[in-house]
Amino acid sequence: METTETKTQVQAAAPATPKPAAVKPAPKPAAPTAPAENEVKPIEVEPSALRKEMERLKAEDMDFLECLTGVDWMEEGLGCIYTLTSTSTGKVVHVKTATLDRENPLLPSVSDLWAVANIYEREVFDFYGIRFTGHPDMRRVFLREDWVGYPFRKDDETEKNNPLRMTNEPLADDTEELVLNADGTVTSKRNTIFADGDYVVNIGPQHPSTHGVLHFRVALEGETIKKIDPILGYIHRGIEKIDESLTYPQTLALTDRMDYLGAMQNRHALCMCIEKALGVEVSDRVKVIRTMMDELQRIDSHILFFSCLAQDLGATTAFLYGFRDREKILDIFEETCGGRLILNYNTIGGVMHDLHPNFVPRVKELIPYLRNSLKELHALFTGNVIFQNRAKGVGVLTKEQAISYGCTGGTGRAAGWHNDLRKTRPYAAYDRVKFNEVVREGGDSFDRYMIRMDEILESLSILEQLVDNIPEGSIQEKMKPIIKVPEGTYYSAVEGSRGIFGVMLISKGDKSPYRLHYRSTGLPLVAAMDTLCSGSMLADLITIGGTVDYIVPDVDR
Amino acid sequence: MEEKNYFEGLFCGIKSLCTGLKITMREFFTKKITQQYPENRKELQMFDRFRGALVMPHNEANEHKCIGCGLCQMACPNGSIKVTSEFYETEDGKKKKRLVKYEYDLGCCMFCMLCTRACPQDAIEFDQSFENAVFDRSKLIQVLNKEGSKVAEK
Amino acid sequence: MFDFKIVTEWLHGALTGIMPEWAAILTESVLVALAVITLYAVFAIILIYMERKVCAFFQCRLGPNRVGKWGLLQVFCDVFKMLTKEIINLRNTDMFLHNLAPFLVVTASMVTFACLPWNRGAQMIDFNVGLFFILAASSVGVVGILLAGWSSNNKYSLIGAMRSGAQIISYELSIGMTMLTMICLTGTMSIQGIVEQQYAEGWNIFRGHIPAVIAFLIYLIAGNAECNRGPFDLPECESELTAGYHTEYSGMHFGYYYLAEYLNLFICAGIATLVFLGGWAPLHIAGLDGFNNVMDFIPGAVWFIGKTFFVVFLLMWMRWTFPRLRIDQILALEWKYLVPISMLNLVLMALLVAFGLHF
Repeated sequence: METTETKTQVQAAAPATPKPAAVKPAPKPAAPTAPAENEVKPIEVEPSALRKEMERLKAEDMDFLECLTGVDWMEEGLGCIYTLTSTSTGKVVHVKTATLDRENPLLPSVSDLWAVANIYEREVFDFYGIRFTGHPDMRRVFLREDWVGYPFRKDDETEKNNPLRMTNEPLADDTEELVLNADGTVTSKRNTIFADGDYVVNIGPQHPSTHGVLHFRVALEGETIKKIDPILGYIHRGIEKIDESLTYPQTLALTDRMDYLGAMQNRHALCMCIEKALGVEVSDRVKVIRTMMDELQRIDSHILFFSCLAQDLGATTAFLYGFRDREKILDIFEETCGGRLILNYNTIGGVMHDLHPNFVPRVKELIPYLRNSLKELHALFTGNVIFQNRAKGVGVLTKEQAISYGCTGGTGRAAGWHNDLRKTRPYAAYDRVKFNEVVREGGDSFDRYMIRMDEILESLSILEQLVDNIPEGSIQEKMKPIIKVPEGTYYSAVEGSRGIFGVMLISKGDKSPYRLHYRSTGLPLVAAMDTLCSGSMLADLITIGGTVDYIVPDVDR
Repeated sequence: MEEKNYFEGLFCGIKSLCTGLKITMREFFTKKITQQYPENRKELQMFDRFRGALVMPHNEANEHKCIGCGLCQMACPNGSIKVTSEFYETEDGKKKKRLVKYEYDLGCCMFCMLCTRACPQDAIEFDQSFENAVFDRSKLIQVLNKEGSKVAEK
Repeated sequence: MFDFKIVTEWLHGALTGIMPEWAAILTESVLVALAVITLYAVFAIILIYMERKVCAFFQCRLGPNRVGKWGLLQVFCDVFKMLTKEIINLRNTDMFLHNLAPFLVVTASMVTFACLPWNRGAQMIDFNVGLFFILAASSVGVVGILLAGWSSNNKYSLIGAMRSGAQIISYELSIGMTMLTMICLTGTMSIQGIVEQQYAEGWNIFRGHIPAVIAFLIYLIAGNAECNRGPFDLPECESELTAGYHTEYSGMHFGYYYLAEYLNLFICAGIATLVFLGGWAPLHIAGLDGFNNVMDFIPGAVWFIGKTFFVVFLLMWMRWTFPRLRIDQILALEWKYLVPISMLNLVLMALLVAFGLHF
């Protein structure tokens, strides 16, 4: 096994270079000699040198912080793995840093370089207790503010320290910032979130249009929004923590429950990560099936997006038309996978069932049907002058902001950022289908909406190309009864329904992952809400929230 | 809005509203898609692969295929299966294992199918039932092997 | 045409025969009040049922169909449920205003409801400034809404109430303007007078042709806004403010708002019928005397209710098709479009009347 101690500049091969479609001999045992193609060899940096190194990388055009994974390596210390991507070249660099101080671990913050690091670093602080100097808002993000300990540390006594609390969660109006002085000392200072005179309205956690249990504290000036502070974690289930005690096949069961409208893609990402780490090549048939299922899921998600947006804007009728059409896709899913929302379809090395005989006819029926009904939805809702007035020019996110906030998927593409992983790092069968990456320039709510509506058409065209060309082959590679991923760090990502869904897997060679981190598609979107909404009106919050399309179980995990 | 666009905007707006009205009016007269649930119970057929609840099929002689190996119990991520088995001596003096009780908690089942895939005997499967509501949570804990059943001889 | 005055005069005669004049009038007032309240409740139930069914049909659903044949008893069950629910009083609310507000809303809509002309001779309140009175009475409701929002001590309610105030007061303007346009045509504000005139000379929407049609459309939009119904349901828009000004109300207090909302819809449609579509006047086509005679056999009440429900259906159609506007857009629509257009329309109507270009 190769260790990650040497300071090499090797980058992860898998995400950067597209895999050729050539079929390798199918059942291939895990080859521990050759490094898996998605193995990550991070640049190792001392905490003291981290800041300088990150500034250098940022200057080198690594402008997108794709993922930030907190890890407790025990004897190697507490630390993070930063996954940086260049939006212009597609180059990916992983940087690893760790501190041995478990009592008072400190790392320099990079939240001024990449805006999304703000919430990622809060997440790491929440789970590992690493405090970031220079971070303006060092609060917990998912757990309660009165939580004791840091549950993702391997030596944390979570249940002992945290009995079920029957009191309301305290919500502070100010926050801590650690300032690293020039002489190396650290001082603490308080930052205000909401001042005394602010008119703060709670949107959520139980609110009709937060799409789940999300809580925004909104400071209003009349009807105009001054500031938004998202309070997350109401449905945080600690999936990443649970995964550390599950076997690899068992971890799959939980992926469907994060982004429930991207269940296929989530599970695809995890399966792909494990398969590549094991060196298993799935058959062509499986690749095509997974691609088709991903696209069906994407259509499903985008139609639901349409419906919910319409509902939020008060067009209840359009909402039901969307649901009527979505039903057709759910039927296809249910017939082949046995589930409608919790699909439970991909497995390590294949898929759960072969395609149902009705699958192909049903998909063929669906394609013209959906194209037709999309026209109806456009006529009813898209063209409507009220909707246009409510969406155009509302919640503009520039390309630079989108990259800095890591807003991938439709939100990023609406701002002109070409970030579709299906194009930039093709996986599964995406290298053999023709489709357009839908990109618009405006970055407002209307563009975000249109991106998704147009993507439905692109997905239909992908389905059309594949539905008659499903190759024969095995649907499940032979796997060992107990799957053990060789020691190492692996990263794979897919284009989920609403952005890049990444899986960072750290294995110590056991039957369970040592650390499994999901790059949530929704967390950066929620983090960007404050920027998106400031200066807009209260009603725009609903439009913006609807069009950036976050899914709360995916944000909270 | 620009002054010269005032009337243009007004008429385009009215036109778009009328398009919407036309569509809803057309939908007003199309056939409705609602399925009327308790009435259509007879025709309501779930798809074959639908995962309703875990069952252990028994044949006419009240025999099942479970050998009590406990692989399903190990595969379950939620601990919703509890297999109790015992060793007994056959007539020719061999020690063999047999199933005593197969408990399944529908309430914490995730329907991930790891148990059915782990089963070497295909002794358990998911049925297509969907009316699983009960008044008491304890009723969700089911014993899947029937009273007096035994394992089928090959 | 059947004149309801026969009934009222017979009743008056019968009552004065057995009691003094003042007692007879008192008894009649009580009877009329009972009739208004009963009609109010009956129409509320019909409208709620209709709204549910119509909305369902627009949304490719079936709507309520479990309680009673075609779900006919559903609304009765809902009303019964609402009556039995507890009225929850919250701490830190202004209790007196909080309890008063729903009554203001419901009273305002009842008074306006009483002004509607049901048939020839079947009119509870009629005097020479009838239309003016209707406009005045119907705008008392906004006080109830503002009070509800203020007294609830809830931020959602307060924002909802403020929006409502801004919206209703703005839209009063174009309602007033369209009414003025029509009064310009009719020359009278008396409700019976307006209808009698339309009975004799044809419905106002035909008489006044172009300006009348424009006024009718503006009235429909503004009336919808006045009723706080979609696409103008901002004060209670659920996706932002959960339920707006009536978030904190429960039981029958909420029920009053619910009733008033539907009755305001009916009243809005009723006024449209009265002013534009001839009230209880049947459809007459000049020259076809046989047809006109047949139409006269249909009672006026049927005409009035039928036409009103037709307008109600139009309003529901609008509601279930469009998304909601934003508060600044609502005000922009009013001040940038409706007010100038209705002003021009008023001038147009004045010219029309001055030159005798109407029918």
